[in-house]
Amino acid sequence: MGELKKSNRDICEGLTDIYLMYFDEARGHVPLFIYPEEKFSDLVHNKTFMRPIKYHPIWFLTVDEQEALDHIDLEFKGYTFFGKKFFAKSKRKKKRAGLDDETPETIIIIISLPNEVEIFGDDLIRLLTKRIIDHFGDKLYELIEYENVKDEVIKTPRIKEIIVEGEKIKKRLENLISTTCGQYFSSVIKETDTNSIKQQKALSYLALKGVDVSHLASGEKDSTFSNIKLFDPSTRNKEALKLNYPFNISEIGIIGDSHELEIIVQNTTDEEIRDVIVKITHVKEFFEKEIMSQLVDEWFPQEELVFLSPITPQVNEYLFFIIDNETEKRLLSQKIDINILTK
Amino acid sequence: MSKEEIDKEEIIIRNYRTSDYEATLEILRELDQTFHIGLKEDQWKQSSGLRQFKPNLKRITLIAELKSTGEVVGMGMIEALKNPLGQYIGYLNNWATKQEYIGMQVGKILAKRAIKLLRSWGCETVRIIVAWGFPEKLLKVFEQTGFKPIQIVLENKFENEQ
Repeated sequence: MGELKKSNRDICEGLTDIYLMYFDEARGHVPLFIYPEEKFSDLVHNKTFMRPIKYHPIWFLTVDEQEALDHIDLEFKGYTFFGKKFFAKSKRKKKRAGLDDETPETIIIIISLPNEVEIFGDDLIRLLTKRIIDHFGDKLYELIEYENVKDEVIKTPRIKEIIVEGEKIKKRLENLISTTCGQYFSSVIKETDTNSIKQQKALSYLALKGVDVSHLASGEKDSTFSNIKLFDPSTRNKEALKLNYPFNISEIGIIGDSHELEIIVQNTTDEEIRDVIVKITHVKEFFEKEIMSQLVDEWFPQEELVFLSPITPQVNEYLFFIIDNETEKRLLSQKIDINILTK
Repeated sequence: MSKEEIDKEEIIIRNYRTSDYEATLEILRELDQTFHIGLKEDQWKQSSGLRQFKPNLKRITLIAELKSTGEVVGMGMIEALKNPLGQYIGYLNNWATKQEYIGMQVGKILAKRAIKLLRSWGCETVRIIVAWGFPEKLLKVFEQTGFKPIQIVLENKFENEQ
């Protein structure tokens, strides 16, 4: 494998860009870190390059609002930008009255992926966000301090300290992102289900990009790139694809001329499910609007329930969620496009 | 002709299931023949009786099933509707018992359970909508259980307009 072996960084290069931003109380939304880092200095002031980042809908949603969704996406010029917002610990002195040192930092992470492999975005952003919070959740404010002072003309000993610490955090952050992305893409390739569409798509794209993935299959299994079977729908194991959710949407339709969306959902278990919230929302011009939120205190075994929601003019996409009221865990989520429903 | 009353222990009150479609359609047909409730068979679908949730409305169709045979002997729809003043009003609609079980207290057992359910939904009032011309003696029965007539609903079907 020798010469063809590539580092995690090489794998991710050209495949994904990762943007870490924060909300500065005086300057607004400020880029904090871009991976690969070389792009940071070159492109951070390039308005065309930064356009999808600056206008990403994630900015317009509060942390609470966007929690209903795993991430907020924007498609722009062949790329999908996945965004997620979270709070991080802070001890930074703020520049606005009413905010104290402990007021948490608002951090935004955006990852861009070519549309060909946008199916990876969901898992990747979740994984990256978790790792960044786990490893840097209480350090990000130091990186923000670093960004704020690094260009100061007069560098006091305190500023120098902040810069040294900031550089270290940046380096470690870069390593973490690089490792996470490398591991993620490699795990996608190594998945045991070689018939998954996800893997096939990944392989095609990586091969197209000229990446030899044989290095990813080191260890006991000698499954090199060429060993992976091509997708054959006839051998698809339907059982393996079955999702183990307690609910199943049995029918989605539009009721006659009443302009109502009818969604029939079944509790597929043999147990009564208590205390779930059923929500129907839509996103219009980047804003998510809730049009129905209904508490179902008891849902009998195998029972089908009907949820009716008005259809909003000019809105074709709706999101349907079933959420556990106690744990707030999402038990079912489904995007509904009324254009593809038969009236 | 007096009929023997069915004991409440002999009746199971449960929610509608799609497998009840044929039985409920038959009961609705009978009801329509007697009181002209305006049944359009193509609009009573398999899913029509399932529990429904929509903004400001909850609806359920209750089924009375004979424990011994599993036969559907009665049905009734209940709705909780939020009025413009923000209060939930409960309605009992399309209350019907299979012809041969009329007078055997099936409706009473069903109604008791329905009222209990409407209370648990937070309804402040329960209303029963009955067909015009329904027997006056039944009105007396309702009055004994606390129901009083408060409205007369007039209807004009658009299909009758010239």
